[in-house]
Amino acid sequence: MTGPAYHLRTNKAADRFALIEAIRRLPRLGVDLEEYTYYGLGGAYLEDIRLLYEYCPEIKMVSIEGSPDIYQRQKFHQPCGTLKLENCDMRSYIGQYEPNDAKSIFWLDYTELRYGCVDDFIALLDKVIAGSMVKITLRADPRDYWNKPADIRRRKAEEFRGEFRLVLPKQSARLPREFGRFAYMVQEMLRIAAQRALSAQTTQLAFQPVSSFYYSDGTWMFTLTGVVWPRNGHGAIERAYRNWEFANLTWGRPRLIDIPDLSTKERLHLQQFLPCGAPRGATLHSELGHLVEEDVPKTEEALEQYAAFHRYFPYFLRGVP
Amino acid sequence: MDTGKAEKYGSVIASPVKSFFVSMLTRDIKLGDAVLDLLDNCVDGILRSGKKGGGRPYEGFRAEIGFARDSFSISDNCGGIPWRLHDYAFRMGRALDRAPDAPGAVGVYGIGMKRAIFKMGKDCLISTRNGKDQYEVEIPEAWLEKEFEWNLSVREAKGALAEDGTTIVVRNLYPGIAKQFGEDGMAFKTELEDMVSTHYAYIIDKGLEVKINGDPVEPRAARIRFEKPVSKEAPVVRPYIFRTGMDGTEVFLVVGFTRGIPSQSEILDQQESVKYSSVDAGWTVLCNDRAVVYCDRSELTGWGEAGVPRYHTQFIAISGIVEFRSEDPRGLPTTTTKRGIDASAPVYLQVKNKMREGMRIFTDFTNKWKTREEEARDYIKRGAPLSLDEIKAQAGGLPFKPTRKYFPGGEQYRPVLPLPPMLEPTKRRICFTKDVSKIRNVGEYLGDSDMEPSDVGEKCFDTVYEEARK
Repeated sequence: MTGPAYHLRTNKAADRFALIEAIRRLPRLGVDLEEYTYYGLGGAYLEDIRLLYEYCPEIKMVSIEGSPDIYQRQKFHQPCGTLKLENCDMRSYIGQYEPNDAKSIFWLDYTELRYGCVDDFIALLDKVIAGSMVKITLRADPRDYWNKPADIRRRKAEEFRGEFRLVLPKQSARLPREFGRFAYMVQEMLRIAAQRALSAQTTQLAFQPVSSFYYSDGTWMFTLTGVVWPRNGHGAIERAYRNWEFANLTWGRPRLIDIPDLSTKERLHLQQFLPCGAPRGATLHSELGHLVEEDVPKTEEALEQYAAFHRYFPYFLRGVP
Repeated sequence: MDTGKAEKYGSVIASPVKSFFVSMLTRDIKLGDAVLDLLDNCVDGILRSGKKGGGRPYEGFRAEIGFARDSFSISDNCGGIPWRLHDYAFRMGRALDRAPDAPGAVGVYGIGMKRAIFKMGKDCLISTRNGKDQYEVEIPEAWLEKEFEWNLSVREAKGALAEDGTTIVVRNLYPGIAKQFGEDGMAFKTELEDMVSTHYAYIIDKGLEVKINGDPVEPRAARIRFEKPVSKEAPVVRPYIFRTGMDGTEVFLVVGFTRGIPSQSEILDQQESVKYSSVDAGWTVLCNDRAVVYCDRSELTGWGEAGVPRYHTQFIAISGIVEFRSEDPRGLPTTTTKRGIDASAPVYLQVKNKMREGMRIFTDFTNKWKTREEEARDYIKRGAPLSLDEIKAQAGGLPFKPTRKYFPGGEQYRPVLPLPPMLEPTKRRICFTKDVSKIRNVGEYLGDSDMEPSDVGEKCFDTVYEEARK
């Protein structure tokens, strides 16, 4: 196993906090969080559930887990008594899910990029009621297609185009090599999937994006969060999310999460200068007085990331069990 | 007989009602299919121009489709509509006694263009140039509303188009169409690209350039593995080929492998998303270069009937192409939308026997090599992936034999495929199933998270075996 344990990955942790913030803004749409049920793929440590319980205890919670072994570990890690654990894979769960006029928050937290995942997203959007939030995370690592010998690269690209032909924005385009561009392509694929699920011809509802990020937690991932909301009600979404630094309400390019490795002492020192105005990276660099990356531009870039996500950056400290 | 009654009632009007054409006829066709009808007209224009010929007969011709919330357009350089054909091009339907306007065209009924326009909107301008003929025909909303007005005014349009071709612009779109082009525009573009890349694969492969909202469409034509023999006796993996001609229709059929047969782990892996990953498997039926059926895996093309197994992921590597070619499109076994086969057409029913016969060779091969797929893949990989035209060229050197049953004039080439050798008694197969995430973890540990599950298993065994030997 390479990389830190799943629940200790900082970029992923920031993404979880971003979801919490997106959820906490839902009442600005005139809805009550008590109406919601959260459905997540929390893995063995149920980190998302733990956070949600901490910040939004009024939301009912269901964890969905396909593996019987991990399901047993989840029973052990259950962070609160109100959580319902389901030993079932997400696809089957979506198949039998009935919203019954109740609003939902789903996090389709996948580790792969397969059409089946996109298909789950389509099936889910077709079912949830207005006001529901759906977040989907997919693998978006161009190295899966590029860092290969030429013949394998060609075959992989062809297989990709074959598998995703129903949601590809441009069939003729080469697969992007750069992480951000690849993530944007995946976002466009999900946009097409959302249009297929909620066609303007058949429903007044649309999937309205509220945020999208890409980050590495060992492999590169892309994540998109949105709300199923009346097509002509985009103004309400805009009012609810426009002041949020991480809002992406118009299918713009996803935002990078790349939090630098800073010591606790460095973070505590920088804390007093935050939040600060632009250029945040340069300001923090000057306050810190030393490089945290190999040169000044990279240090300022890293500290800009820190400034943006510092509230979402967890402290990992040694504890006494 | 009371003749007085006949005089009293006189005659009744049986002329067509315009709203029937405008509203009802368009219900039979999906928007994507209607756009393909307009592309068919471009191809028919190329045939009419007489410039088609050689290995890439559509080279230099292009069609550009554009759409947005408020308009649709298609513009081509495919020869335009000669004034002498205006009667056919703009009338609703083709007169029975009228011969096809170009040999090899696919248009039969004379409704494609009009139906497509009426499907989309209420205001249309058709500009065309064919040599000295340069004119515009407008179909305004007022015309659609006048029940008994069937004439359309034509005006000269010198200099409107830079080269011979046609441009159709539709405005005042119906609300549903505006939504498909607007709010659902990205999804519609993807769907249309997919339709064009498959149904026009063989035409684009032969040179036609098609763009949708500025993006070129890539063809998805199947390429079948064909190995040249190392020696006369050695069995090789080649396709089954059948060819014949009857009643003015030429038939060329080829079925074989497009890739190596899948391993058991790949089959398990793909069963979850079979309909997406095995898109190239199955039968494609071409009528005058146009794919009317693409990668079909149902009874329509012989799967699951008369001794052929039902399609299953294990047959993902099997692909076939049947080409029907006729100067008179009425000889082609296609439906009015040209997106399907007339399964009851005698010519198709006869050819379907050969489709099944060819298919059985490759389903049998797949079954015989089950559990030894890797060895079979080595055989298949030796063959080069060839296009339909390349296979036709290679077919000249193959030992064809005449077919007696069904096709007195037909001939076929049946490949002799390699058989698996008897399994050595000292070897046994090991097979087990593990979670994908665990396989990926072990693969990562072994140096490649993308490693095939069978390779992960084998490497684990080899590693432990080396340790056990110490």
